[in-house]
Amino acid sequence: MDERDVVRTEEMLLNVGPQHPSTHGVFRLIVKISGETILDAEPVIGYLHRGTEKLAENLQYTQIIPYTDRLDYLAAMLNNYALCHTVEQALGVEIPERAEYLRVIVMELQRIASHLLFIGAYLMDLGAMGPFLYAFQERERIVQMFNEICGARLTYNYMRIGGVRWDAPPGWLDQVREFIPYMRERLKMYDDLITGNEIFLNRVRGVGKYDTETALAYGLSGINLRCTGLEWDLRRKKPYSIYDRFDFEIPVGKNGDCFDRYYLHLLEMRESLKIVEQAIEQIPSGPVLGKVPKLIRVPAGEYYSGIEGARGEIGFYIVSDGKDKPYRLKIRKPSFVNLQLLPELLRGESMSNLLAILGAVDIVLGEVDA
Amino acid sequence: MWQWQTQPLTWSTFLAMLIGTVVILLLALGVVTYGILAERKVLGWMQGRIGPNRVGPFGLLQTVADVLKLFIKEDVVPAAADRPLFLLAPVLAFVPAFMALAVIPFSMQHIFTAGIGTGLLYYLALSALTIHGVMLGGWASNNKYSLIGGMRSAAQMLSYEVPLGLSLVGVALLAGSLNLNDVVRAQQHLGLWFIIPQFLGFCVFIVAATAELNRTPFDLPEAESELVAGYHTEYSGFRWAFFMLTEYVYLFAMAGLTATLFLGGWSGPWLPGWLWFALKAAAFFFFQFWLRNTMPRIRADQLMTLCWKVLLPLGLVNLVLTAVLKAVLLKG
Amino acid sequence: MLGFLKGLSVTLSQLPKKKVTIQYPDVQPEWPERFRGVHRFIPEDCTVCNQCARICPTNCISLSGTRDENKKLRIDTYDINFDICILCGLCTEVCPTECILMSDTFELANESRDKLYLDMHWLYENQLRYTQRHPERVAQEAAKDHEEAPAT
Ligand code: SF4
Ligand code: SF4
Repeated sequence: MDERDVVRTEEMLLNVGPQHPSTHGVFRLIVKISGETILDAEPVIGYLHRGTEKLAENLQYTQIIPYTDRLDYLAAMLNNYALCHTVEQALGVEIPERAEYLRVIVMELQRIASHLLFIGAYLMDLGAMGPFLYAFQERERIVQMFNEICGARLTYNYMRIGGVRWDAPPGWLDQVREFIPYMRERLKMYDDLITGNEIFLNRVRGVGKYDTETALAYGLSGINLRCTGLEWDLRRKKPYSIYDRFDFEIPVGKNGDCFDRYYLHLLEMRESLKIVEQAIEQIPSGPVLGKVPKLIRVPAGEYYSGIEGARGEIGFYIVSDGKDKPYRLKIRKPSFVNLQLLPELLRGESMSNLLAILGAVDIVLGEVDA
Repeated sequence: MWQWQTQPLTWSTFLAMLIGTVVILLLALGVVTYGILAERKVLGWMQGRIGPNRVGPFGLLQTVADVLKLFIKEDVVPAAADRPLFLLAPVLAFVPAFMALAVIPFSMQHIFTAGIGTGLLYYLALSALTIHGVMLGGWASNNKYSLIGGMRSAAQMLSYEVPLGLSLVGVALLAGSLNLNDVVRAQQHLGLWFIIPQFLGFCVFIVAATAELNRTPFDLPEAESELVAGYHTEYSGFRWAFFMLTEYVYLFAMAGLTATLFLGGWSGPWLPGWLWFALKAAAFFFFQFWLRNTMPRIRADQLMTLCWKVLLPLGLVNLVLTAVLKAVLLKG
Repeated sequence: MLGFLKGLSVTLSQLPKKKVTIQYPDVQPEWPERFRGVHRFIPEDCTVCNQCARICPTNCISLSGTRDENKKLRIDTYDINFDICILCGLCTEVCPTECILMSDTFELANESRDKLYLDMHWLYENQLRYTQRHPERVAQEAAKDHEEAPAT
């Protein structure tokens, strides 16, 4: 069925992006195609480069937090936490219980919001309009709750080293509690709307397949790794914060195809809801900001810690020379790492699978380019 | 004067024809205007939004404003485009779509309908003509996305012409005529809409019609997430408006055809004929909007598989069944 | 064949649901108290300690002050460049007298970048506008100040 054997075709270079409706930001992909077959693909990134890592060298640790908001702007809470966690580890400060619980709640809500947007945008890539706007309705509720707790809808700047900026306003936890059953119901709706749709299944089943070895060789993490069947979730494998107190499952895929990647997003939202539910029940009262010096100086040395972000392992690597600013900050950006697999995945595929594959890799350009 | 179909051609009948054409053109424009608005409204409602509501009461003038905007836009012709073809393509696409309306019997009195005996064939032939416009547009734009869009479009519309035609044959067999008026009369006479005896044919028809119209889930030629906008990527201003117009006029024609062939056209109790027709056409419109909100896009190779391996055999089976049915019924 | 019919029924069931659109700008969105919009500034309270300018990660605050006859520092100019301000709220966090605060003004769009350079007067007016819109919130702030005052 290789059409190159049947019809003589000429190679053509197709420029997908940087201004293209479904590159999710400014991303350019140079694809070499012959007929409808992709011979090679080369991602061109950097359109959104802001030099976050370099900027951070001139900023105090607290000042870096708002910059992390702007990496993966769909999951800013998780980025916030990743940075704070690394610094806290370095300082060895104790974080008040309530702060930990609040962090977990907002992080899991953030994960849901981010996954929702993935599902919406992915379906949009595949041509369905409805799910995108449905996803935004639930996301709006989450974002509105974030707005109430920290005053911003996208760039939260909520976590502080040693805790969180604000305690939950009165009634906030009840709002979250009410949100859980609503979200469960909506998840069922997505299941009905998308998972069973034959057209959708035909487009994603068996498309963009890779196995665990390839995934590990490319250093993938998050859902992109779990879809191959390897159960690797940092919340379980290297429990940070208070994740060891909750009962939740790590859903894994079987085939490593686009469908698994889609479906894991749906399943993970369910697990996140479980975590939020338990956290709300257990949350103690108390202070939300631990005892930290006003000017934070990280003792000289090198520190790394990674957490399970919405797209994979977000890690901050800090080299400190004992001053109040990092000597060097390196961010492990999951989108950036996951993107490396793309050319390999696309090679030999049909042109019409391009978007199904690109969408399922789930990149956020703010994070890729940093 | 109004019975021009059966009269010799004189000045007065010619005038009547002309008036008829203008009336249908205006009707088509009106339907398109409010069809687009209805689409946006229905989509909005299905997505928890309210849709256009700024221009005029309930946004009733939204499309008018949009069209006005398109008309006063600069008419851009890309430097590398094949100029004459580029200019010609939208017209080539639009004219046949509009001409197809001529055979649709809108109401019982059908004064504005050409009662030609080969109505169905005429419709099919014209709808095949539209493809030229689309393909030329894609070719002349000299843009890779346009080209792919245009080619996909041509491949898709040509392929689906076959099952579409096949599903129509069943209806023609039952009605015993290719004249659309006669088809409606046959249904009235039978007291049954053809959707029931021709259910299989109807299914094939609906799928093929959606594909012919390039609408979701078969909107590959203009898949915005893959091909930017397909064959009309390079078009702007009123040339682009022409393509849009074509699309919606064609949608209107297809709605008319569906109503006529399968839903009994203007026939129906109590209400006047034109209202029945409008209701049935509106149902088709609604179905298309509904699909658009729900379905992801089908993949190009699967599109062809569906056409040749599923729809075509089904169409043939339907044809055979209909023939047998008819033979048995006629004997019995 | 069942799958896509299910999907169709889902979308149809959404049709009569309540709509979520807010008719902005006719209807203004409700912002919570903590919302971080454009700053407001109360010049009388400022002690020109420069902490806000120092903490600002984008260096977008520039201020100057002079000593008056009682040797007290008074603010003369206070500009925020909203071209680069990221509305992180760190400045409001460090201010000892809580005289730089966030408001719920969020409409910043402008036809020129120069107009995004907002000075003390604009920021103070913004405070007045905020007082008008949310008298109860400002009263609460004042009450809290009053409570804390004897303690410090
Ligand atoms: S909000 Fe942040 S960026 Fe803006 S002035 Fe305050 S500290 Fe600077
Ligand atoms: S921190 Fe507050 S008191 Fe100090 S200079 Fe800034 S606004 Fe004035």
